[in-house]
Amino acid sequence: MNSACIGALMALAEKDTRVLYLTADSGEGGLDKLFRMNFSDRSFNFGIAEQNTVAAAAGLACTGKIPFVFTAAPFIAYRAFEFVRDDICLQDLNVKLIGSGSGISVSSLGPTHHTTEDIAVLRSLPNLMILSPATPKQAEECIKLAYQHTGPVYIRIGMNKEKEFFGDGYKMEPAKNDVIRSGKDAALYVTGSILEEAAEAAERLSEEGIELEVVNVGTIKPFDADSVIQNAGRFKNFFTLEEHNVTGGLAGMIAEVIARNGLGVRLHPVGLEDIFAESYGTLKDMRRANRLDGESVYRRIKEALV
Amino acid sequence: MNQLDIEECAKLRKLIFLTGYKGGMAHLASCYSCLEIIYTLYVKGVLRYDPQDPSWKDRDRFVLSKGHGALALYAVLCKTGVLSKKELGTYLQPGCHIGGEPCTRNLPCIEATTGSLGHGLPMAVGMALGQKIDGMPAKTYVLLGDGECQEGSIWEAAMAASSMQLDNLVVILDANGLQKTNRVDETLRVVSWQEKWESFGWTVRNTDGHDMDQLCQTLRQPPGARRPTLIIAHTVKGKGVPLMENDPKWHFRLPNRKELKQFQRALQISDKELE
Repeated sequence: MNSACIGALMALAEKDTRVLYLTADSGEGGLDKLFRMNFSDRSFNFGIAEQNTVAAAAGLACTGKIPFVFTAAPFIAYRAFEFVRDDICLQDLNVKLIGSGSGISVSSLGPTHHTTEDIAVLRSLPNLMILSPATPKQAEECIKLAYQHTGPVYIRIGMNKEKEFFGDGYKMEPAKNDVIRSGKDAALYVTGSILEEAAEAAERLSEEGIELEVVNVGTIKPFDADSVIQNAGRFKNFFTLEEHNVTGGLAGMIAEVIARNGLGVRLHPVGLEDIFAESYGTLKDMRRANRLDGESVYRRIKEALV
Repeated sequence: MNQLDIEECAKLRKLIFLTGYKGGMAHLASCYSCLEIIYTLYVKGVLRYDPQDPSWKDRDRFVLSKGHGALALYAVLCKTGVLSKKELGTYLQPGCHIGGEPCTRNLPCIEATTGSLGHGLPMAVGMALGQKIDGMPAKTYVLLGDGECQEGSIWEAAMAASSMQLDNLVVILDANGLQKTNRVDETLRVVSWQEKWESFGWTVRNTDGHDMDQLCQTLRQPPGARRPTLIIAHTVKGKGVPLMENDPKWHFRLPNRKELKQFQRALQISDKELE
């Protein structure tokens, strides 16, 4: 997703001189160099100082610039939280925050480098649009959407060569979910790069005659609540899948919609159950260890439905 | 010093007190330590701005990083006509826009929302950088508290500003030596501010923070080559009310009935004006 984002960002920078690239020494696997080579006067490395990077982005937005802060997701969401709140959201400034390596995609470095509570903490901030792409194509669309939207945006992206589910003509819209697969037995809502595990689980269940409707949530905020309301008339069981704490995450969001609208359906959250992610290894290893891989998701849904 | 300016600041001290007293809350002592600094910036022709058009693109910007000095800023903005006395009179009233800390919502004359310490300077770094990118001659001025320098984000910003050669960034340090509960140098032992900021790559100057001639002269000096400037303004917290001067207990309180008389005497406030 990193290269899709940088590519989209360079296309924007080409046509709009207000677009700036800011990083807190993140690098994005050398992709920042590509931006710097092409737009040397619009690329700024603020050093390992996320608070100042985020606040300076707010100051730049005050002068009419459109800064894209591209750095590790946990350090935006947690280290710089108050700066995101006071300097960007409270002042409703046109700053775009791109958190790379969200979820547990930085698998081997452990919980300090995981971002498994960012949806919970950031969706409580007024004025902030939150995007959670599942694939490189959707990440590219998120950058375009963030640019078109005047105001603060946070985009949480993965960094593990995610499988593509969207065609070249795909266009992303705010507050609109994508139905990845139609089904009749239950709904599975999923956000972020873990979509591929949801698809795998749905395929396995299909082989056994259970048809899941897989709904990808690309825009966390504003959220497509209508999709849940409408699907409540079709399904008794809703599942959620996220590389995130279920508390306050996608499961929490959908629970709020169900409760507020008295929908009377059963919600089965699959995610981190109020824990920090366990273990080390590849992303696949980590998902398996935390029962977030396709096989585990398949089993959990089957147990609940059969 | 110009007698007129001294008299104007005395009037503004009175206005700050009456507004805070009637509002029921104010950081009076902090406002009094930085009043002459903000007055010099806005009234003595240091800041380039248009009172008729606070959003003028080429303006110099002023960020009150020590947001609890808000009433001093509001009072000076009243003096310049940017804010009306009627608006200021709504201070802390339900539904009003004038709060205890500067907030940009509905107040276009305020450059940045501040209050939580350690935010103003980092935002100002972005503003100064934006001005540089546009090739504008404009400057960004920041008023920083000395206690505020205990926030780590100040030093992140200080490093970035010198590294990015922001010679259009001018920080005035309101060095009154006190913070909320104690002396600054007793709370965390400080090696000299001069050495600290110089070692971060800034040009450092000193001035009496209540002497408007000295302030003017110091603020008008050209910056060091490709370096941001820090002006250490030596001030007295609570300046103008002897009972309040240099005593940390006045950081965030109003006088009781007995103390009120001493405030009235120092600020020449009649009983009628308190009503």
